Amino acid sequence: MTRNQRLVALAALILLALVPAVVTDTYTRHIFIVAFIYGTVAVNWDLSLGLAGLFNFGHLAFFGIGVYTAAILTTALDISPWLAIPAGGVTAAIAALVIALPVAKLQGIYVVLVTFAFGQLCMQVVLSQGDLTGGAEGLVRLPYLSIGDYAFIRDFRFAYYYVALGLLTVSVISLLLLAHSPFGKSLRAVRDNPDYAAARGISVARQRVLVLVASAVFTGIAGGFYAIYLRVASPEVFGFSVATLILSMVLIGGAGSILGPVFAALALTFATEAMAGTRGLEEARFIIVAAAMITVLRIAPSGAINIFSRFLTSGRKT
Amino acid sequence: MDGVLIPTLVSGLLLGSLYALMASGLSLIWTTLGVFNFAHGALMTVGAYFAWTVSEQLGLGLFTGFVAGIGAAVIAGVLIELLLVRPFYGNRSMMLITVMTTLAASTILERGISIIWGPRLKQLPRVVEGQVEIFGAPVSAHEALIIVLAPVVLLALWWYTGRTRSGRSLRAVGQNASSAALIGIDVPRTFSLAFGLSAALAGLTGVLLGSIRFVTPGLGTDPLVNAMIVVIFGGLGSMGATAGAAYVIGMMEALLILWLGLYWTPAVLFMALILVLVFRPNGLFGRAA
Amino acid sequence: MSRLLDVQGVRAGYATVPVLHGIDLHVGDGEAIGLFGPNGHGKTTLLHTISGLLTPTSGTILFDGQDITGAKPSAIVAAGLVQAQQGNTLFGDMGVEETLELAAFSPRARDGWQTRLEEVHSLFPRLAERRRQRAKTLSGGERQMLSIGCSMMCNPRLLILDEPTLGLSPRLKAELRDAISEIARRGVPLIVVEQDVEFLLALAGRLYLVEQGEVASEIDRDNAPDHQEIMDMYFGKQAH
Ligand SMILES: Nc1ncnc2c1ncn2[C@@H]1O[C@H](COP(=O)(O)OP(=O)(O)O)[C@@H](O)[C@H]1O
Ligand SMILES: [Mg+2]
Repeated sequence: MTRNQRLVALAALILLALVPAVVTDTYTRHIFIVAFIYGTVAVNWDLSLGLAGLFNFGHLAFFGIGVYTAAILTTALDISPWLAIPAGGVTAAIAALVIALPVAKLQGIYVVLVTFAFGQLCMQVVLSQGDLTGGAEGLVRLPYLSIGDYAFIRDFRFAYYYVALGLLTVSVISLLLLAHSPFGKSLRAVRDNPDYAAARGISVARQRVLVLVASAVFTGIAGGFYAIYLRVASPEVFGFSVATLILSMVLIGGAGSILGPVFAALALTFATEAMAGTRGLEEARFIIVAAAMITVLRIAPSGAINIFSRFLTSGRKT
Repeated sequence: MDGVLIPTLVSGLLLGSLYALMASGLSLIWTTLGVFNFAHGALMTVGAYFAWTVSEQLGLGLFTGFVAGIGAAVIAGVLIELLLVRPFYGNRSMMLITVMTTLAASTILERGISIIWGPRLKQLPRVVEGQVEIFGAPVSAHEALIIVLAPVVLLALWWYTGRTRSGRSLRAVGQNASSAALIGIDVPRTFSLAFGLSAALAGLTGVLLGSIRFVTPGLGTDPLVNAMIVVIFGGLGSMGATAGAAYVIGMMEALLILWLGLYWTPAVLFMALILVLVFRPNGLFGRAA
Repeated sequence: MSRLLDVQGVRAGYATVPVLHGIDLHVGDGEAIGLFGPNGHGKTTLLHTISGLLTPTSGTILFDGQDITGAKPSAIVAAGLVQAQQGNTLFGDMGVEETLELAAFSPRARDGWQTRLEEVHSLFPRLAERRRQRAKTLSGGERQMLSIGCSMMCNPRLLILDEPTLGLSPRLKAELRDAISEIARRGVPLIVVEQDVEFLLALAGRLYLVEQGEVASEIDRDNAPDHQEIMDMYFGKQAH
């Protein structure tokens, strides 16, 4: 990361940390919180799809697994949400490991199909295990986060805001560290030139397993937090629409750029939430997001991909 | 056991027929363009809704409805090709980009349908009423029609791609686009043809499905994942292998439902798929690319 | 002699690499011409541009008086300008006969396709023997025959052959050259790319030397160079 990027990122973080001082209404803070969660999911998807060039289309399954882990642990087993949220990261990582084993050996469209099918399968399992998951209705009235007597929902969600921002920040920093580690460099090298892997004796299969598991951890935690924060778990998280929304964050932000999707997540969450609040646009917002994603792909085909990252990573060594 | 086995096999045959129709549409586009159309399920839904509107709302009869439904699916399919696939021909990441654009198209169609037609469940009337017996198992005549129609459609498709000028041109373009152009085949037009034909198959599947299941915005996208499992099994290469895989999966699914119940069947099917892929990364009948 | 093909000041290339820097050449009606020159200097690029697989950045291509610059490849074939690509593998999973039948695709090729199929079989008897075999199971020489045969099925008014004997054994080379001479004798105008200038001179009235994306010189039988001069053209005089 260049100095400039670091400054941009730091400035953004400070600004976001100061937001609650200015923004005091529950609704706006709520949108920020959701944006931080989506941002976490988007940057982690960017790790596998953008940075490692792994055609993973089942990323939202990791999120959904986090959501249902937290929801089931807190409702069926009465476990504290403080434990249930990180547990979402653990189960998501285990699921990633399971799916990574076959995916590691596959090529091209088969990676797309298997990861996508995996996401749909998770939805079917959730729908069919109604006793545990609530089926199509989902689970409601999950316990909320609190310390002692202080419920995080109070003071216009002041505490939730910082938990969400903290989650995003930690996730982004881990990803940046990973991206600039030797491992991250070898990921990019293999993505841009598959022959390089063979020449250097890099195991692409091992890389893929590690990347999928790494990308699942914070995604699962974000899922757990999402469930606890909203106090519901609904099978919709596995659907096409949410996937399209998050994917458009990755693409509009610029796949491979890590910081880009964060900004895109903020912008798109505000845009879609504004539309959700506008009569007549509740359903149409997903159409608008999908159309925006297509537009971005048409403007910058090979890499939508790169508009933002070129701008941000102009000093990148290769 | 005998009393359940035959009906189970018949329902497996029905599932297999549906998957075969869906998967052959997917494989047609894949072999011609190297594009996997994630909006295929949504095109089925488009077909079913238009058929419902024309036949039930406007009262123009089921046959007119079917024609309208298939026609609407074809128009939507060709539009997808023109707007969301064609701009990316020749792009190095065309496969990946079109996964995303067709995924987006699916979202647009599904949500658009739910805006236009609302959430209320609809159903298309059956093409034929009454019951017939297959190996002593009673089946609705409509379902029997699907079981008979699917192989007929597949054979017609096989004949078309193997024997006719335009059908052969689809295969030629899929195997070597520049050589096809140099013997006078209009490659972009052939791409549209492939999409249109595949969409017609989707529309047909949608209208047939619309009278055995409720017509909802998710009508086509729900079975899409199983059709995907079929094409992975079949290896996406030849249409014959894909059709074979469709019947294998349909039968397996019916038997698994009988033995394990509805709940665990998807998971077991998926596990079977993973196992196949671990040992044969290009699908059960697929050849290395 | 009227000009069947007239290439005027054509520039073309790939994404960021310009390859052709203003090519002028022409083919008269009933004439055969040859192209030669070192590898990688733009012959194939020129032929792809003529056939519409590439769009020129400037210049004009006239075929039989019609402007075909930037036309679709299928329209160019429909007009009768046909090309057998260099190193063409055609359609691997299709049978030989099926491929030849399909090649009679454009309207001008449909009438009398059976007669033309017989002509192709008489030109390349091996294709008749291998009717049912799939293209990818053919040997290199047979693939070339199929490729040329396909072009013949298009009922060409001008046939372009890009290095038709590349990588073949001397015996097969001779066999294919006989067939190409036979095609010329049947009155089909030709553009042939070959490395063997002597063969080209025997076949064609005029030859163009393509070098660094330009026509470096034009030769005909009357000012035909001897062997040493040809070597000089390829490698430059100073190399000696
Ligand atoms: N698809 C392509 N993309 C980029 N450059 C190409 C492509 N094909 C050929 N070239 C380049 O164009 C130049 C001319 O190549 P070509 O026309 O094939 O030459 P020739 O047929 O005379 O051997 C070469 O430098 C070659 O590297
Ligand atoms: Mg060449």
